[in-house]
Amino acid sequence: MTPARIAILIAFAGVLVAVAAAARPAPAGPEERVERIVAELRCPVCQGLSVADSPSVSAREMRDLVVQRVAEGRTDEAIREEFRRSYGDWVFLAPPTQGAGTLMWLLPIALVAAGAGLAWGRARSRAEAAEHDPAPADVQALRARVAREEAADL
Amino acid sequence: MTTPNVAASRRFTLTGRTANLLVIAVLVGLIVVLALGFRRDPRDIRTAVVGKEAPAFRLERLEGTGTVALEELRGKVVVVNFFASWCVPCREEHPALVRAWERYRTSDVVLVGILFQDSVESGRDFVRRLGGTWPTVVDDRGRTALGFGVFGPPETFFIGRDGVIEGRHIGPIDEDTLVRGIETLRRKPS
Repeated sequence: MTPARIAILIAFAGVLVAVAAAARPAPAGPEERVERIVAELRCPVCQGLSVADSPSVSAREMRDLVVQRVAEGRTDEAIREEFRRSYGDWVFLAPPTQGAGTLMWLLPIALVAAGAGLAWGRARSRAEAAEHDPAPADVQALRARVAREEAADL
Repeated sequence: MTTPNVAASRRFTLTGRTANLLVIAVLVGLIVVLALGFRRDPRDIRTAVVGKEAPAFRLERLEGTGTVALEELRGKVVVVNFFASWCVPCREEHPALVRAWERYRTSDVVLVGILFQDSVESGRDFVRRLGGTWPTVVDDRGRTALGFGVFGPPETFFIGRDGVIEGRHIGPIDEDTLVRGIETLRRKPS
């Protein structure tokens, strides 16, 4: 394995570890939970702003509701579900990880994987072509053809 | 000995024709997605609450004392109108609401105004100046509006006798739309 390939593999492993670390649920306090949920929610009167980033009255009311629900002991998923019931999946800035929304997540990954596979396959075929000498029979046949063509030219 | 290696390498080689087909397939997919997206009316916001039971509420009346609860209106056709005094489209649609109320006030139709994102004083002033004797209540913390999935005033919801939201109108409503929505629900067997 060439050093370049080793470097690529190490970089890929690093990305996987980072993604796994980011996806791991960390225990959070009430304030952190509120901030996490309002950052996911879309402000209904804004253009592409989260409830966390919007100063609008609607966003403030949504934040107040999240604070109240967290204080009442509701789970994050129950709070999200309450907003989903009223506004649908639209209320979440990120597409859902279920149903048709799964495509939004899987398609880029599939495209990157397909591209990586293609690049790897091409690199491998070129490397193999360079590494292996032609078969003696092929060389002999090629020499005979060259000789024939040269004789024909003469 | 070289033949197997050549064959193995070909497994990972995409021919020019296959690569072209792949690119075309991706482009066609993108065009279809974009075409479907552009065909949608941006004002046609998909709503999660239509077809579902309306969120229950019991809210203080804007004028006088007492409350209005949605549950107590079960069996009637209910039109819920979210409004605010600072909202210009709310002022524009108000005459249509007055006319619809005059038409249906003695029938099995109830119009409920819900003031939200506004002060009680401003709401009272709005109703006194523009008229309207239908029950109007105050959603002081916006919880009812959030339950209905309201984006902003004005918004009008048509609720059937069974308490299910059958229709929703975002923005100022006119008398024809009001009458059409109400009559559809009145004709619907309970």
